[in-house]
Amino acid sequence: MVKVEGLYYSYTNDDKYAVKDISFEIAEGESFGLLGPSGAGKSTTQNILTGLLPLKTGEVQVAGYDMHHPKREMFNKLGVSFEQSNVYGKLTALENLEFYRKLFDVPTLDPMELLTLVGLEQVASKKAATFSKGMKHRLTFVRSMLNQPILWFLDEPTTGLDPAIASVIKDIVKEKKERGTTIFLTTHNMFLADELCDRVGFIVDGELRLIDSPRNLKLKYGEKLVEVEYVEEAAQGDEANQAVAAEQPIVSDSADGSGTGTVGRATIGGGTGTGAHLIRRHFSLVDPVEVAALQEVLATRKIETMHTKEATLEEIFIKVTGRKLV
Amino acid sequence: MFRKILRITGRDVRSGLRDNIIVYVILAPFLSALILRGLIPSVGANVLQMAVDPSVEPAVVEYLETIGKVEVLEADGEALERRVRATDDVFGLRQAGEGGFEIVKEGNEQEGMDEIFELVLDAYVNQDLELPMDALVSDIGWKLPPLKQFGASVLVVFMSVFGGMVILINLVEEKQDNTLSAMNVAPVSRKAFVIGKGLLGVVIPVIHAFGVLLILGFEGLNYGMVTVAIFSIALISVLIGFVIGVMNDNVISAASSMKVLFVPILASIMGAIFLADKWNPLLYWSPFYWAFDSMNRIVLLEATWGVVLRNTGIVLAITAVVFALLSRRIARGLN
Repeated sequence: MVKVEGLYYSYTNDDKYAVKDISFEIAEGESFGLLGPSGAGKSTTQNILTGLLPLKTGEVQVAGYDMHHPKREMFNKLGVSFEQSNVYGKLTALENLEFYRKLFDVPTLDPMELLTLVGLEQVASKKAATFSKGMKHRLTFVRSMLNQPILWFLDEPTTGLDPAIASVIKDIVKEKKERGTTIFLTTHNMFLADELCDRVGFIVDGELRLIDSPRNLKLKYGEKLVEVEYVEEAAQGDEANQAVAAEQPIVSDSADGSGTGTVGRATIGGGTGTGAHLIRRHFSLVDPVEVAALQEVLATRKIETMHTKEATLEEIFIKVTGRKLV
Repeated sequence: MFRKILRITGRDVRSGLRDNIIVYVILAPFLSALILRGLIPSVGANVLQMAVDPSVEPAVVEYLETIGKVEVLEADGEALERRVRATDDVFGLRQAGEGGFEIVKEGNEQEGMDEIFELVLDAYVNQDLELPMDALVSDIGWKLPPLKQFGASVLVVFMSVFGGMVILINLVEEKQDNTLSAMNVAPVSRKAFVIGKGLLGVVIPVIHAFGVLLILGFEGLNYGMVTVAIFSIALISVLIGFVIGVMNDNVISAASSMKVLFVPILASIMGAIFLADKWNPLLYWSPFYWAFDSMNRIVLLEATWGVVLRNTGIVLAITAVVFALLSRRIARGLN
């Protein structure tokens, strides 16, 4: 469905490339996520794939069309949901969809049904200029569904939405995916990518560092961890413990992001400096030293909670690229 | 493609009618024409208007019709007085004995007009009288009151900018709402989009021209010529509207930028009116000069298709040069 080979793009027509030597393929019906921090080259790549930016160097085929010579008719097959909402403020929600619907040469979905799908049916006849950011985003999202695209580009589809609406959007995407729609998702939300994508690509500084399925990445780069919360009685005169207790009134989490062997503390029962402390600690199940430490904690402390914890895509991204997803 | 062009134009019409600035831009020429019409009462007042009783012979009526506007009443007696009492300046006329006439007036008619009417009747009655001298009458070329002649031409050419302004406002709206990117991923060719956006820029000036000319009382013009002349000059405004529209994100600043067009328009028109003929070549670069020349000839009923098409050709040639200079800038702005 999508084939990219040796893609380079420079906004300044010199060797300052926004994307460098990117190659990947997306099979029909596959859900592919391009993940990276802001400015990594996600949007540039998507804009080239959707024809919003001209293809200069490299080979790109989208839905059977050579992007060196893109045809307008290809947009009958494509759907593009933008990160920034872009709807006509002076038109109502329904008028917005009706207008775009009539530009397609293929059968389209009923605008009112689409509005109902994302909870906008009550405001169908209100001007979009009066909408909140989230409502405009939903309208932009359903507009990209009008022509029942076979290839659907989604740029940060849940950004700025409240959790309930974001969940609705995710369910819609999942349903389309199950029906065979090919999805190209660009996001910095690793949880969303983990949930929706068959494969993900990590892009940093314009370079595609890695492509694999979320499961394979976790197996390959993730460490098996156990998170334990246990109570520790502070000994009289333990100045270090008293100081920590005074500074941390609530349970604190691992601070260095490495995941293992880290400790957080909180005071239980009044914070006098001599009471019990709640400790949260991660233990690696791979490192023998930490396994022994875990066993000691289990044997000698009062355990409050204990969870196995697999590495998140975000943690893997940081591990692979050395960059955070900001 | 035509269907999609109309969709795009239709969206702009719908959106435009919800925009106070566009509504004002659409109505302003008609309001200006109404004001101008109010400022040129002499257009009607200088015409001798007469209501004649059925007693007046047809030959007299025929003669009077060569002088001014004649209204032949069907009923005699009181009907004539009633007509004269109406709000307009109308003199009544009835036969009074053999060879004599009675002029009926309200009393508040324009000064001197009754004497003119008497002279007109006197001339008819004494048409066989041999004058003791020969009089040669000539004019200096004013076929219409200046305010009416130039007012109409200036207004029509000047208002051609307003079509470009509508395009500009709609484009700025697209930029503000970020909808150009959405249009760029729709199955609509760039050509269809530009034509759809630009259509209003030529249709509105033509409608303005028709409305203004009809309001000012130019019923007998060749409106085919008017359409050709205005269509060509509107293209320049459309181009400028596109350029300014794609370069601005704010309606007010965009409209302000559009005002730069007022300078060449007014300079061309004022030059055409006030400069001696030998200096007119200085204005040949301006498409507004040629459009004004066409309109001026059209309202004076002196235009021929040859002259109108020549002027239109010159305007289109200048437009093509402007387009060649600006097309890349427009294309970049629409991406």
